[in-house]
Amino acid sequence: MRGPAGPDDPGRRPAAPGIRPFLQGQSGSRQFPPEPPARVDPQPTGEQTTALRPFVITSGRVDGPDPDIQMETQVTAHPGAAPARLPPEKRAIVTLCVEPLSVAEISARLRLHLGVTRILVGDLRAAGQLDVHVLDNDFPDPETIMRVIRGLRAIP
Amino acid sequence: MDFEPYREPFRPGPDLPDQRVVGTARVPNEQPRAAPPVPVKIIVAGGFGVGKTTTVGAISEISPLTTEAEMTLESVGVDDPGPASGKTTTTIAMDFGCVTIDRTLKLYLFGTPGQARFAFMWDDLIRGALGALVVVDTNRIDDCYPAVDYFERAGLPFVVGVNTFDGQLGYHLDEVRWALAVRDDVPVISFDARFRGSVRDALLVVLDQALDKAIKLKSY
Repeated sequence: MRGPAGPDDPGRRPAAPGIRPFLQGQSGSRQFPPEPPARVDPQPTGEQTTALRPFVITSGRVDGPDPDIQMETQVTAHPGAAPARLPPEKRAIVTLCVEPLSVAEISARLRLHLGVTRILVGDLRAAGQLDVHVLDNDFPDPETIMRVIRGLRAIP
Repeated sequence: MDFEPYREPFRPGPDLPDQRVVGTARVPNEQPRAAPPVPVKIIVAGGFGVGKTTTVGAISEISPLTTEAEMTLESVGVDDPGPASGKTTTTIAMDFGCVTIDRTLKLYLFGTPGQARFAFMWDDLIRGALGALVVVDTNRIDDCYPAVDYFERAGLPFVVGVNTFDGQLGYHLDEVRWALAVRDDVPVISFDARFRGSVRDALLVVLDQALDKAIKLKSY
């Protein structure tokens, strides 16, 4: 079933689907694109509302955050957390984490760069202000996936 | 001599689920802190402007949280939005949404920048991911090659979802499969990123693949 947007249509000219470049010309041996760079420093974006450059907030550190702290990792404030004496960004994170929150949500709500957020969450965890709920298994088990499937099916 | 009649000391009664007895007073228990939900995630990948944000937004219970930056002049050549695209900005950070399955389980959807030059983010992102939905626009089918290459190499279950803009498919799914040369067990489906039901069904196909992988992993 071809839509009206065929090759003759002057308004929409769909590019002809070609074979993936690395599959062309060579039989058998697959080539893959070069390894991506290992990491990149946080880039300030135009939308950023904080006036400070990211490395100021992280006390000059630009090195990689804890690999345990993923974007979906759940974070809660430690019961004995004392956010009042923390710098503003960290205080905001601890205050926000009264309810369990993912690192990505913290980053989006505070408009902090994701890399910065991960470093700060790691710092706060080390300082005993935050509980970071790290999952121990790398890939979810079948039961968990079945629950997700059932949950999604329930969506109208 | 008058004696006070013996009176039972006031007892506030047994402990209740949300209150406990301290001396003669009843004090509320500290609310037991609800354990945070277990997060699971699905990656929504694809080329520039193929509808990843729309896909995430169609099913997420929160409006997708995104950081968008104006596309700079120098990247216009790199990120060709294709013909007749009114899109002037490109997502340079993540956009993500979530679906609460129940109190202990939460599904996160992460839309990743599709361009190959953002591939450095993917290594981090796919850790623990259930799978990926690669969104394809048949007008610019080449755009999804980096994502397909990457997920193939990483061994992450993925599904190719052809976004039917305007409800029409530019090509047969067979033609798309031929062009992508994906393995036979990789499903190539069509869906409409604007509709929740359609996105849900596409995600269910991804979950099906993830379930296969999980069962295989467990049987080892």
